[in-house]
Amino acid sequence: MSIDKQDAGYGTPNPEKKQRTGLPLSRLRRFVLLGIIVLFILQFVRVKILVGGLTGSLAVWFVTLIDIFAYADGLVSSRDFGMTALVSVLPVALIYLVFGRAFCGWVCPMDFLYELVGRMKNRSKKSELSSQRKGNISPKIGYGLAAAFLLISGLLEVPFFTNYLSHLTNFFRLLTGGVFFGMNLPVDRSVIIFSGSIIAGLLVLEFFFPRLWCRVFCPVGKTYGLFNKISLIRLSFAEGQCGECNLCDHMCYMKVKIARHIDETGLRDINCIYCGRCIDGCSTKGKLIKMRLWR
Amino acid sequence: MTRRELLRLTLMTGAMSALGGSASLDVLVHAADEEYEGPLSSIKTGGLIRPPGALQERAFRAKCISCGVCVNVCHAMRYDAIAVAPFSSPFGKGGLRGLLDFGSPYIKDMRDFPCALCMECPKQCPAGALVSVEKEKVTMGMALIDFSLCFGWNGDVCLSCSKACPIGGKVFDFYNGEWGNQPYINERCVGCGLCVRYCPLGGSAIKVVTKRQYEAVKAAYTGDFKKLREMSGEARYNIVYGQNLPQIMARGRLVEREYR
Ligand code: SF4
Ligand code: SF4
Ligand code: SF4
Ligand code: SF4
Repeated sequence: MSIDKQDAGYGTPNPEKKQRTGLPLSRLRRFVLLGIIVLFILQFVRVKILVGGLTGSLAVWFVTLIDIFAYADGLVSSRDFGMTALVSVLPVALIYLVFGRAFCGWVCPMDFLYELVGRMKNRSKKSELSSQRKGNISPKIGYGLAAAFLLISGLLEVPFFTNYLSHLTNFFRLLTGGVFFGMNLPVDRSVIIFSGSIIAGLLVLEFFFPRLWCRVFCPVGKTYGLFNKISLIRLSFAEGQCGECNLCDHMCYMKVKIARHIDETGLRDINCIYCGRCIDGCSTKGKLIKMRLWR
Repeated sequence: MTRRELLRLTLMTGAMSALGGSASLDVLVHAADEEYEGPLSSIKTGGLIRPPGALQERAFRAKCISCGVCVNVCHAMRYDAIAVAPFSSPFGKGGLRGLLDFGSPYIKDMRDFPCALCMECPKQCPAGALVSVEKEKVTMGMALIDFSLCFGWNGDVCLSCSKACPIGGKVFDFYNGEWGNQPYINERCVGCGLCVRYCPLGGSAIKVVTKRQYEAVKAAYTGDFKKLREMSGEARYNIVYGQNLPQIMARGRLVEREYR
């Protein structure tokens, strides 16, 4: 990762061409994501660094981890505050108390898959900005939806979203299922097909409505979004350099309005996933907007 | 949202449910076609066999977040016993129960991948749906020997099951006699299925059912056992040579694990 940071200084792309050349922060976060996925894949050859999936996992055969929404889901469906689950969710909560919704930009595999869908689409459409539709669905719907999911979980006594719909559960279920199928280990085909169709469905949704899932619906992201309000990380701005080109706003696929907050000390928007596209996109070449863990 | 977008969304939802439908269809299509019925085919498994240390069924289902840690821990331990429950349960009832069970871990087929009772998965479950217990206190299920298929009950010497059992000394009772080395599994069985795996009969002569199912069939099963023990020599001879041995011989040809 440090190598990549040095890369960032080397041959900084000029603003006109920045969409073609690799963007430093975008590349760094891909390294983080792919690193995590690779560690999860290594579990199939019995490397016990990350075992399980992003819904719940076992790190270095020692630390159990649970996604925060999945924890809430299990809590509601079982109506039981178990110590085990609490111990598993605490480290995750600590991480995202520092990094806020960075989970979405740096860890979630869908973010990467969505980017691929976007690229596939742009190959025919040329301009990246053309994919920015006028979204008139309020991101607040997601919180209502998350609450509804929790209610269903409570009624069914099954973690409803986490078990059936979750992109995280289904992504890793598909991965494990596929690998087990290939290795002739016990797996039911219906599991692969179910999880495959959920992921495929999400990709189709992405094709027609870019980032609608992340911005409006995803309860996992919404939960981490709440952390944005209290987390240490924030976007901070250097004073008086903004050319008011609004490139940052255009680059942000979570539709955070950045430019209008430039005069403030920091921005902790509930939708910001700290992907750094605004930073990379800014015409000051990253001098104006910065990611900071303080002030 | 414009009307066109709404239309697209509807189409997509349609496509997704179609795919979901095909998933359940797939289960029907691939419900294993085996040449021979399994042991004790009249007795149902009675639900999913859970990994060791699972909470009571209802609490377990509510707690398990389908993270897959246990599945992959078992793989890392080289046992591969745990699979993810299918979209619609193949165990008879299916229906809502099957749908609710989807995604939770179960022991799919003990004939190939039994649980070795290494007790790693309960230790590692992040949600506390599996909790650590002693091996002897595990309640995954109850193994039942099909006396009409077991070599030991039909004039032979075998006892492979009792040798495979991790708590064999406490679990097995032996009724050795002129009809063979006859093993009987008592209620201390934890249901790990190692005996199922190591039974040399093609397709195994042992079946593991859930503890609850065992309570339901207990009277009939132990009744049959008692009848067999008290049977006259002649009647026993007729059953062994007339019915059982031909079945056993036929299954002996099952070399390939066609049922996987
Ligand atoms: S590790 Fe626990 S929570 Fe995860 S799938 Fe297994 S039983 Fe469920
Ligand atoms: S205890 Fe059984 S099911 Fe669990 S990991 Fe070990 S072999 Fe697999
Ligand atoms: S009798 Fe079979 S299922 Fe029961 S504990 Fe022994 S090996 Fe496991
Ligand atoms: S291993 Fe199978 S055939 Fe042998 S004694 Fe046990 S049940 Fe009978």
